[in-house]
Amino acid sequence: MSKFSETQLAEVKRLVARYPEGKQKSALLPVLHLAQDSFGGWLSTETMDYVAELLNITPIEVYEVATFYSMYNLKPVGKYLFEVCQTGPCMLRGSDDIVAYIGEKLGIKPGETTADGLFTLKTVECLGACGYAPMMQLGKHYREHLTKEKVDAIIAECTKNAAANN
Amino acid sequence: MGVKLLLEKAHVEGIRSYEVYRREGGYRSVEKALKTMSPEAIVEEVKKSGLRGRGGAGFPAGMKWSFIAKPEGVPRHLVCNADESEPGTFKDRYLMENIPHLLIEGLIVASFALGSNDTYIYIRGEYAWIVDILEQAIGEARANGFLGKNILGSGFDCEIHVQRGAGAYICGEETALIESLEGKRGNPRIKPPFPAIQGLWMRPTVVNNVETLSAVVPIINMGGEEYAKIGVGKSTGTKLISACGNINKPGVYEIDMTISVEEFIYSDEYCGGIANGKRLKACIPGGSSVPILPANLLLKTAKGETRYMNYESLSDGGFATGTMMGSGGFIVLDEDQCVVKNTYTFARFYRHESCGQCSPCREGTGWMEKLLLRLDKGQGKSSDIDLLWDIQRKIEGNTICPLGDAAAWPVAAAIRHFRDEFEWHVTHPEEAQKRNFGLAHYADPIHVPVG
Repeated sequence: MSKFSETQLAEVKRLVARYPEGKQKSALLPVLHLAQDSFGGWLSTETMDYVAELLNITPIEVYEVATFYSMYNLKPVGKYLFEVCQTGPCMLRGSDDIVAYIGEKLGIKPGETTADGLFTLKTVECLGACGYAPMMQLGKHYREHLTKEKVDAIIAECTKNAAANN
Repeated sequence: MGVKLLLEKAHVEGIRSYEVYRREGGYRSVEKALKTMSPEAIVEEVKKSGLRGRGGAGFPAGMKWSFIAKPEGVPRHLVCNADESEPGTFKDRYLMENIPHLLIEGLIVASFALGSNDTYIYIRGEYAWIVDILEQAIGEARANGFLGKNILGSGFDCEIHVQRGAGAYICGEETALIESLEGKRGNPRIKPPFPAIQGLWMRPTVVNNVETLSAVVPIINMGGEEYAKIGVGKSTGTKLISACGNINKPGVYEIDMTISVEEFIYSDEYCGGIANGKRLKACIPGGSSVPILPANLLLKTAKGETRYMNYESLSDGGFATGTMMGSGGFIVLDEDQCVVKNTYTFARFYRHESCGQCSPCREGTGWMEKLLLRLDKGQGKSSDIDLLWDIQRKIEGNTICPLGDAAAWPVAAAIRHFRDEFEWHVTHPEEAQKRNFGLAHYADPIHVPVG
């Protein structure tokens, strides 16, 4: 099972120190983000139990939170997670076509991952980029004003980066 | 050009950095407040300014501050609501990305006024890169003596911490936000007790929106009375409007609430008109939860008067013929858009975001989503429209928090004003899959009853 490095443990300590004594549970959301980013982009039961132990809370308290918030992935996802917004303002600017195009190009439906484990396509609700629609989240950043050409370029960029990292 | 209080300096080269922000007059309000004013005097100025909460509810900010309990020996907290998630709204993001020190400055003054030594910014989890921008600004403010111990020799200590959410619209509701900040699911609390009495860790807490807290800076600099002279009636100061949908110039605009809706949509200073030379069909002017209006009722009230971009004028006519200012998420639909489809995406959104605590909302949002999908796909029955109406009525007012109302209102308004479009989907199921209902009579001049 994966454990945090010394640096990551120091970050957990810094997070916990922001709250009053005995209120270390407040660090749960940030620590789960750290765990997801560190352990392959998703939260396994083992990871959640580890976080519970670190924060001195019960595992059920972690499961409750991990299952509530949409950013926590409870099963493995591809190396590149395309989260395409489909709510009203993005729909008005053609997000349906973007979702369909990405699906066609990668040969997957929303919720699925490509066989090589590189890409997951997910439809999400409003991400607060309505004026720059259609858009998607990729890692820490937003990709906005999407067109088919931009989608092609993003997929090529990810494929290239993945090859370079192997 | 209208008055700019928040975005005046937002595009100065390098304004994200402390040096440039300070050179442009930044942090003057902290100096004025901490060196020459008492916390009570600051609350008074904010009261005088008439500033209303910019997150959507429009509650007077100074009054909210004056409610905070001050029991002996119990720490108090200020929490900044940066969980911007109402579809159509992206103004807080714009402020934080472009001019982060403005929020930090407002937070320091507000923390001093409320006696908060540990202040938290709760930001939606997806805005991950903005966390870095804010932490950079906080670090610079601390390095220059505006945060930390004994700020400017006032004896006041303050730290600002940035907490990331993890994807939940409901955490924009203040008690759900507090629960989330405590490391729990974002389930809203039953009020009372109000956060001002028992909020974060059961301590007295004030939760304010990013734009509200940023507006504290010009209020302190110019004085509450001067601020209140801008705008009209109870819509004082300036408001950020995030405009999106089928317009030529989507973006964030600061308005002084005296301009008409027509000017806002068609003037080149703002939206620049409808995209691709099309005509205006409908608009949701305050974020997805406020009532949608057809073009004719949007530009003029039912009395035939010009409608303006402010709290009072937008709500003129109540829900029968008016709408709300809400969060300022201004969503424009052109003649080719389908109101049934748009309403369906909102219903899906609210079903996805319902926390599940209250049955009317948990079950009702799911029913509304299914019915709207069925209607949109041309598989609906005429009775589905009545059923939808019945369900939204049963959600509204029957839930712990306002998410239920927020889910019900868009459905109610869509049926109220666009019922013929819903019926057309039932009577012309195949045609509805091939073409749009179009503009119909929605842009026709409204009939003003005589007498």
